[in-house]
Amino acid sequence: MKFAIAVFSPGHAPSSRRALLFAQAALAGGHEIVRLFFYQDGVHSASGNIVTPQDEFDVPAHWRAFVTEHALDAVVCIAAALRRGVLNEEEAARYQRNAVNLPAPWDLSGLGQLHEAAQTADRLVCFGGD
Amino acid sequence: MSTLHVISHSPFGDNRLSSCLCLLGPNDGLLLCGDAVYALQPGSEPLKTLQAHNLEQRLFALAEDLQARAINSDAVNAVDYPAFVALSLHYDKVNSWL
Repeated sequence: MKFAIAVFSPGHAPSSRRALLFAQAALAGGHEIVRLFFYQDGVHSASGNIVTPQDEFDVPAHWRAFVTEHALDAVVCIAAALRRGVLNEEEAARYQRNAVNLPAPWDLSGLGQLHEAAQTADRLVCFGGD
Repeated sequence: MSTLHVISHSPFGDNRLSSCLCLLGPNDGLLLCGDAVYALQPGSEPLKTLQAHNLEQRLFALAEDLQARAINSDAVNAVDYPAFVALSLHYDKVNSWL
C-alpha cells in the first residue's frame, strides 16, 4: 500500500519521532511512501543547523538518514520554511540572507505537493502536536 | 467508510478526546498515543468516559507510550509501530487530532 506522511511538529516533539518510527515500520512492512511532507514547525527537522543534545535521540538526523537511504520524496513546505528561516541556496540568494541551512536530500515546494500526495497515496497519515 | 482517530494530547489539557468521542462512528477506531494515554489512568474521568462508550476492540494505545507513563490498562489494546501501520490500513482513513 502507498502512504503519504505529513509531519507538523519539530524534531524535538515526540510526534516527530512517532512519525519517523511509523515511516520506518511502513517500509519495513513492505509498503511504499509516496511522499514525506514537512509542514508548519515540521520544517525545522530539515534544517541542517539542528544540534540535538548527545544523550537524546537525534530525530532530524534520523530523518535525513532515512530519506537518503531510501531515496524518498521529502518535501518541505516553502512558505512554512521561509517564515522559520529554513532556506536553501536559491531562497537565501533570492531574499539576500547570508545563511543556507536546507541541505540535500530535502526539496522546497508548495502545499500542492501535500494535496497531490494525498490523492496518490492509499493513506495520508499526519503527525503533529505533542 | 471507517476512520482511525489518532489523539496525542493529554485529555486533561483540552477537549480533543471528548470532541472525538462525539464524532466517533460505530465502525471507527481510536488510537491513543503520547500524553493521550493518560486517558487510561485508573479511576480518572477520561477513563470512565471511554468505558461508557464501550469501544472494546476499537480502542488502541501505543505500547511504548503506556510503558513510558507506567500505565497498565486492560481496557485497551496495546500496539507497536507495525501494528499502528496495520491499523492505518484496516481503517479507510486516518484522522489525526493535531
